[in-house]
Amino acid sequence: MSKHSTWPEWVYIGVVVALLCYVGAEAWNVERIVEHVPASAEVIKVTGQQWFWTFEHENGTKEIGELHLEKGKAYKFEITSTDVVHSFNIHDYVVLLDAVPGRINTVWFSPNEAGEFPIQCREYCGLIHYNMRGTLYVENGT
Amino acid sequence: MKVVIGLGIILGLLVVLPAAQYVLAAGDEPGEYLDRRVEIWGLFYRLMLVAFVIGTVVSGTIVWLVLRFRESNPKAKPTEYEADGKW
Repeated sequence: MSKHSTWPEWVYIGVVVALLCYVGAEAWNVERIVEHVPASAEVIKVTGQQWFWTFEHENGTKEIGELHLEKGKAYKFEITSTDVVHSFNIHDYVVLLDAVPGRINTVWFSPNEAGEFPIQCREYCGLIHYNMRGTLYVENGT
Repeated sequence: MKVVIGLGIILGLLVVLPAAQYVLAAGDEPGEYLDRRVEIWGLFYRLMLVAFVIGTVVSGTIVWLVLRFRESNPKAKPTEYEADGKW
């Protein structure tokens, strides 16, 4: 046994462990809150393929390369891919999720600001990955 | 010792597991409208704060340790090994 006091070591360990516990709990809680989809969310099927995005609304309307949504409504994206792995990103609304062939990933958001926002693929998916872009148009509700 | 382990198992079964299940089940309810930007960037800034606090604690401790236990510190005492060659 050491003859010196060990309390500073225990304080050090305690502080670091407490902070790491806080990090884990906080991240878990925010993830849980953010992943709760409101019951009224409209489902939009998002399909990525080399090298463009296709969007299908609940009423069957399809859009390619652009997406028109209403401000203040909730939307749930069901994201998939037909060829390679892509990643669907609306940077301004912190939406980012992989589009994986044979799998449907879901993410939801509610645009609260009208305007035009870029959509971009964030997973290198081939030669024209850099230009796999789209535009989100958020319009004021009627 | 056996009593402690037994109590731990019983407490685990009676308290911890139901609590965990209750918390996880909360994910099945429909969510409310929220701004992802606020939640996610807020989390980012809080965690950055924690990261810098941990960095400060760790690097501060190392700096203190190096200064306090350097040979030239007036408070420094030789260890038993250094003084008498004893382990």
